[in-house]
Amino acid sequence: MLYSIKYIVRKSSIHVCIVNCGGCNGCDVECVALLSPRYDLEQYGIYVHNNPREADVLLLTGAVTEQWRENLKRVYDKAPEPKIVVAIGNCPQSGDVFNQEGGHVYAPASDFVPVDAAVPGCPPRPSEILEAILAVGPQAIADRGREKR
Amino acid sequence: MILPIGPIHPALKEPIRLKLQTEGEKVVKAEIEYGYVHRGIEKIIEGQTWQRGIYLSERVCGICSYEHTQTFAETIEKICGVQAPPRAQFLRVITNELDRIQSHFLGNSTFFKALDHETLFMHVLELREYAMDSIELLTGNRVNMGWNVVGGVKMDADERHFKPILENLKKIEEGFERTREIFAEGPALGLRTKGVGVMTKKEAIRGRAVGPIGRGSGIKYDYREDHYTYKDYFDFKTIWRKEGDNYARTLNRFDEIPESISLVRQAIENIPEGDIRIPVELKSGYAQWRNEAPRGEVTYTIETNGNLIKHISIRTPSIPNMDSCAKYMIRDVPSVADAVATYASCDPCVACAERVAVTDEHGKTSLKNFGEVM
Repeated sequence: MLYSIKYIVRKSSIHVCIVNCGGCNGCDVECVALLSPRYDLEQYGIYVHNNPREADVLLLTGAVTEQWRENLKRVYDKAPEPKIVVAIGNCPQSGDVFNQEGGHVYAPASDFVPVDAAVPGCPPRPSEILEAILAVGPQAIADRGREKR
Repeated sequence: MILPIGPIHPALKEPIRLKLQTEGEKVVKAEIEYGYVHRGIEKIIEGQTWQRGIYLSERVCGICSYEHTQTFAETIEKICGVQAPPRAQFLRVITNELDRIQSHFLGNSTFFKALDHETLFMHVLELREYAMDSIELLTGNRVNMGWNVVGGVKMDADERHFKPILENLKKIEEGFERTREIFAEGPALGLRTKGVGVMTKKEAIRGRAVGPIGRGSGIKYDYREDHYTYKDYFDFKTIWRKEGDNYARTLNRFDEIPESISLVRQAIENIPEGDIRIPVELKSGYAQWRNEAPRGEVTYTIETNGNLIKHISIRTPSIPNMDSCAKYMIRDVPSVADAVATYASCDPCVACAERVAVTDEHGKTSLKNFGEVM
């Protein structure tokens, strides 16, 4: 009973945690721009909290660097079920320009954690990031909640 | 007791670990642990052509990405003994100053978020969007612009671009006065910021603080004064303050924005006709070039071998600023919340900070910061 109420509530209020696993900061800046009154993230019921223990959606940015190889899984495990991972930008998908000789990156991020949605771009526009969260977030959280029960 | 904050934490936007040594509520000293976003950019650029190098140099940092490409291009131009044509120099000034406006707004908004002042955070981010619109209109991209090439800029601009940019600047100015007043005159904000995280001029010199952080502590130094374009064609005032606390640093960033707006206006009014790009004959050589990025001075040292880059070393302003923040600013701060706000007031950009890896004799790779290696 408690869980069913919890899943209904979480469907329309999504908490987001940004995990920068070694990018150039550009995608993070575009996520911060989403908070501005022009895009107004909170009107869709999305709240950027940056706390993995309360997150429903993890936004991954950046190619996975040496320090994040083990820590990424640990951050993922800390988030409560059901959870969604959205990869923002080219870096978590392919490593972008850093994935060549001399670089210290271990992309793609899907080797370490399951990725549900990906938004390509270097960096993608804020509206595209918002669209991806809304497209995958509420429905997937609801579905996974049902599976668990 | 040692209180670790990060790498993922509600107070931080980027992965870094702050270790605060506390005595009760009071923070005695702080330590910063780097190494979460080391990608090895300098090593990748070695042995590539400048076309690939300039693309990578833009991805050193996502906030001040423009200044890195300009410095890279000007270093190669110095090796080849050429200068970009005047029209290209003016276009570079317009983009550079627009980038500075958005970066200062973002730095201040992060500080207000750390202070939990949502109203100002929203006001400042709203104003920032106008600067981002202007950048997108001029270059086609919001963050990584791809605007500079060796010997000039990629695209020309005309009245169709300049008119909306001037309108956007007017909108920024209208909202800016009020926002600045809320911060500068507000009594509650004054209590949270004045006298917190003080760094004296002597300490700023010892910590090699640069940019608005150094200027907030009384170092009257702006590298734009020595740059040939600014020296020959433009008229501006270096903003600096004496107090050296969080209030001074934030207000210093605020006061630099009208100067940048005036510089964009001057550039648009006096832009000369002519080429935007000249052909450059690549030479072998070694050069060093400095520029004033939003956070301080960026230094590029490049050695080329014909058309290939033999060695590159990038020095960004974030490391000295963050080091001086940990050493001198977060010292006897009244509470943990103020320590986090002090860290945000130095406008940290972690992505800039990490490019050096040191391998010891046992073959174990460790990531070090600039200060330790030197």
